[in-house]
Formats: sequence, C-alpha cells, structure tokens
Amino acid sequence: MPVIEVRDVTKQFMKGSETITPLRDANLEIERGEFVSLMGASGTGKSTLLNLIASIDRPTSGTIVVNGTDITRLSRSKLANWRAANIGYVFQTHNLVPVLTAYENIELPLLLLPLNRAERRKRVEIALGAVDLLDRANHYPRQLSGGQEQRVGIARAIVADPTVVVADEPTGDLDETTSSQILDLLQRLNRELGTTFLMVTHDPDAAAIAGRRLRLEQGRLVEVADHVPVPAALEVR
Amino acid sequence: MFFRLLPWEYGIRNLFRRPLRSGLTLLALTTVTLMVLVVVGFVRGLERSLAVSGDPRTVIVFSLGMGENLEYSSIPMGTTDLLAASTQGIQERYGRKYASPELYLGTKVRLSQDSPESLGLVRGLLPAALLVHRQVEIISGQWPQAGEVLVGRLAATKLGIAKQQLAVGSTLWFEGRSWRVCGTFSAGSGTFESELWCRLDDLQQTLKRQDLSLVAMTLGPTADFQDLNLFCKERIDLELQAIRQTDYFATLRKDYAPVRWLAWLVVSLIAGAGVFVGLNTMYGSVVGRIRELATLQTIGFSRRAAILSVVQEGTILAMTGALIASVIAYGLANGAAVRFTMGAFELQIDSLTLLIGNGIALCLGAGGALPPAMKIFRLSVVDGLKAV
Ligand SMILES: Nc1ncnc2c1ncn2[C@@H]1O[C@H](COP(=O)(O)OP(=O)(O)OP(=O)(O)O)[C@@H](O)[C@H]1O
Ligand SMILES: [Mg+2]
Repeated sequence: MPVIEVRDVTKQFMKGSETITPLRDANLEIERGEFVSLMGASGTGKSTLLNLIASIDRPTSGTIVVNGTDITRLSRSKLANWRAANIGYVFQTHNLVPVLTAYENIELPLLLLPLNRAERRKRVEIALGAVDLLDRANHYPRQLSGGQEQRVGIARAIVADPTVVVADEPTGDLDETTSSQILDLLQRLNRELGTTFLMVTHDPDAAAIAGRRLRLEQGRLVEVADHVPVPAALEVR
Repeated sequence: MFFRLLPWEYGIRNLFRRPLRSGLTLLALTTVTLMVLVVVGFVRGLERSLAVSGDPRTVIVFSLGMGENLEYSSIPMGTTDLLAASTQGIQERYGRKYASPELYLGTKVRLSQDSPESLGLVRGLLPAALLVHRQVEIISGQWPQAGEVLVGRLAATKLGIAKQQLAVGSTLWFEGRSWRVCGTFSAGSGTFESELWCRLDDLQQTLKRQDLSLVAMTLGPTADFQDLNLFCKERIDLELQAIRQTDYFATLRKDYAPVRWLAWLVVSLIAGAGVFVGLNTMYGSVVGRIRELATLQTIGFSRRAAILSVVQEGTILAMTGALIASVIAYGLANGAAVRFTMGAFELQIDSLTLLIGNGIALCLGAGGALPPAMKIFRLSVVDGLKAV
C-alpha cells in the first residue's frame, strides 16, 4: 500500500476575480521508503502540492491519504497533532527559531509527542549525530554556517521519525559544495533510516539523486523516464 | 481540548531578542502600574480615613441648618448636661456619661509668631472625649494642661511641616498665643489624626467664646437614636440636630465621590496609555516573527499554542513591571501622607490596592498582546511561511 496517495486533487486560488488552478486532478502514489524528486517550471504548483501533502493547506477537491489517514477530513487542530508525528518539513531557508539552540530547535517536534526528557535527549542526539553536528548542539543559529543551519533543519525534520519528509528546494539557498553535501545527507538518511522523501528542486543534478523523478506540468504529475530515451528511428517494430 | 504549549523559555528569550525595546516597554509598564497603584492607594486611603472615622454608636449633636459644616455650628455650653439628662441609655461608666462637648474650628496655625501660616484644625475637648472617641489613643506624652496641645499623628502633614517640628516640647502659634506640644495621638487612620487637640476651657478662653460646636455621645445598648433625634426635633427652641457619626462621614464620603470618579478616570487613562505601549511592542514582536510562528505551526504546534505564547510574552513583561512597581509602591509610597481639605490621610498600598494594580497590569499585558496575536489567527500557515 502506498504511503502517500494523492487522488484527483485540484487546488484553486482566487486572485481578485482571476482563478488560478495550479493543480488540476493531480494523482500521485509514493511507496514507503521512496525518494521522489519533483521538478517543474516556476509557478507550476510544486510548493502548493508539497504543502497539501504536509497538511498545512487544503485541496479545493480530491483526497490525500498519508499513512492510511485521509488528511483532507481532519480538523485543523487534529491536523496539527497529526503533522507532529507524520511530517518533517525541510524549508528552503532553514527557518530555525533564532532564540533556541540547535539542540532545542531539533527537540521542538518531540515536545509534541508523548516522550519524556531522557527519551527526547536520546532522539535529539541521534538526529544530531546523523547530520554530524553533535559538537554544535548548544550553538544558536546565528553561530552556525548556512550549511550547518540547513543540517539542523534536516535534523529537526527527521527527529520524530515521521512518515514522510517533504523538502521545498532544500539547496536553493546554498552554494554548490554545500548543496552536494546536503543532497548526500538526504540520500544517506533515506537509505539508512528508510524515511520517505519528497523533494522539490530546480536543480537537475539534485533531482538526479532521487530514485524517482516527477515533473509538474499543467497541473498534473508526469514521471520522468529513468533511462536515456531511445531515438524513435531505431525503435524496433 | 488539550494542546501542547510552546516551551516557556521560548517566550522569555524572545523578550531578550530586542533588549532595548523590551526594556523600554518594561519601564513604561512599570511606570503605568506604579501610577495606578498610587492613584488606587490614594482613593483607598481617602475612603479608609472617612470610613474608620465613624462609630455606629456615636451620635453628634450640633446646630440646626449647618449641613455638615461643624465649624459654623454653635450650641450653648449647657447642651451637654441637657442631652445627658434627657436621653435614655447614654453609655455610662462609674457614673461618667459618655458625652463629649467639643469646640471645633479651622484656624491659621504657625510654628512661631512670624513663620509662615497654614490652615490647621483645632478641637477643644474634655478628657471625656477619650471615652466617646474610642479609636483615639495617646501614643506619646499626655492629655493637655492649660496652654498645651495634643497633636494628631498626621497633623504635621496637614500643616505642611516636618514631623519633628511637632515633637513633644515644641511650640505652635495660633489664635494669638503660643501653645506647647504635650503629646501625640492616633485615631486608627481616622480624620482626627490631622487635628490639634487642646482643653475645652483653654480654647474657649482664648477665643472668648462660651459656646460649643457639637456634643458627641456614645449610645448604650438600650438607647435608641430615634429617641434622641425626636428630642432634638421636638425642642425647636434648642435648634439642635442629631446625626449618627457614621451617617455624618457617609455624607462626607458622598462629597468626595467626584474625587473618586476622577481618580478612576485617571486610572483608566493611564491604563489606556499602557495598553498602547503593550500593543505597540507586541505588534512589533509578532510582525517580525510571522514566518517563525508559521514554522512552529508547520512542525505541529497548534495555532492556539502560538497565540498563547505571544500573550504569555506580553504577560511576563507586564507582570515583571507590576512586580517592580509593587515593590516600589509598597516600599516608598505606602503610608505616605497626603493633605486634603478635611485633614490628611495616608496612601494605602494594601493587598487590595496591589491586587487592583497587578490585575490592571495583567490586563495590559494580555490585552496588549491579544490583538497582535490575533494576526496569527487570521493568517494561514502557508501565507505565514512566505512572509519575510
Ligand atoms: N495564496 C495564494 N494566493 C493566490 N495564488 C497563489 C497562492 N499561492 C500560490 N499561488 C499561485 O499558485 C501558483 C503555484 O504556486 P507555487 O508556489 O506552488 O509554485 P511553485 O511551483 O512552487 O513555484 P516556484 O518554483 O517559483 O517556487 C502560482 O501561480 C502562484 O502565483
Ligand atoms: Mg515553490
């Protein structure tokens, strides 16, 4: 059974009298443990789709089932709780809380789960270790480099062991070297922890690390073929 | 429904994010609370001074048609005996009736013949006064001899002079002669405390008067005020009226009602200014943090938790201010003496005053934070994440 099922999802925005429909009867299934990348021109609705799956926005029509729960039917307050356990969100700009240390930032999602202090400590340390920042636990975001901040952001997204981690252009703000480090990290986490990843990116190289690549075109999702397409003329009939 | 709050430290540390702004807000909120405390303490002190002054069993008899103005009242010296004889059940002990003839006037008082004058309240009495006015207690010295005055605890304040200038042994000048201070008395914060007491005969001689202003009497358990009242009404020739001391002070309290309303108006104006201070700071705090609050909601904190954390910050700020203000008010302003026409009284920074002051501060903090917090309510998480 797929861990994410997007069924006939349409999302419309009203901009004055104009209606924008970035998603039109979109369908998508993602299996547990997959690493899926999502590309598409700017303004096609990639972030919109990510936000719908992350349950911070609601579709105009259609259903989204994540880990067996139809999240389009949950109330706002139930969704908040549900998100804490099921969604890890990696932002383009890390969005760390500046007044909290790296450790405290990573601990935030755990505060919403029934865990005691010792259990939280263990999990935060595992997450810090996974992003190789154990020595920076007590640093505030302003004391970290851009790449380190993004690693803390990733640790915060994985610490609660969520059903799916969504990442919206996680390397969009980083230089090439740091980007590739972050991408390696995401790939490693996917392999080692078996976490499902859905990553939006504009960078074809970044998309290439994914086991499965998608494009958003005219409100629908299209699979990008893995293999190099065979020229039509050579095709054997 | 149950929901998880944001960590407490988050709120506290956010206050240190802009130390200058938080500091100034704290200063403003402290000042506002301090002002509220002083005004409430003023009203409470004034009310207390008038409230404790009345004894339900004490009756005042004075000239008809004088309103509450005892200074202009004039009744014959013999009224005391007449009333004592014709009223049933006046409190009595060892043959002494609880009836106190008194001569009362406001007059110019100075420390010596050529020092600046101010208005003082002088009362001439017999030692029987101590029976009737049970709240009066001589705290130093003794009952005056001829040429001596017993000064109330707040008389110096009423005269606008230092307390030491009325110490036992010092002299005062009024009604054309000098008087020696022979002691100090208290009256349970009542209005007597701002008066100068001397012997009745002494004052009468000085003023060349033989009359009284009033007679104060304590009714015993079997006495009925209405009997006395009726007696005064029936004996038209005596031109007397009787009033319960509590009723007398109740009418005075009514006269001071505008002062009270004015005080509450001042409190609400100050509080209104305080709300704007809180609002301004918390707006700034929320606006600069829209994306962060949206991030926290993306992580799974509820919208209510985000709103509450902002309200919590405002409340912490206001309560810190209130605490500082309470300490200052209690330490410096409590008991500070204030002059007013009726005499003098002390600011009352008591538990109720502190409760009111701190309650208003709490409302300022929470109330000032609520509208900015509501911004979070109106903005969706997705829009919040896009905010810069
Ligand atoms: N709240 C909104 N109100 C109106 N229109 C919106 C809103 N949010 C998104 N849109 C519109 O929906 C479309 C899709 O937006 P979305 O942010 O999903 O694009 P995107 O594919 O992530 O683009 P980019 O690659 O530039 O991030 C855009 O045309 C955008 O203008
Ligand atoms: Mg986008």
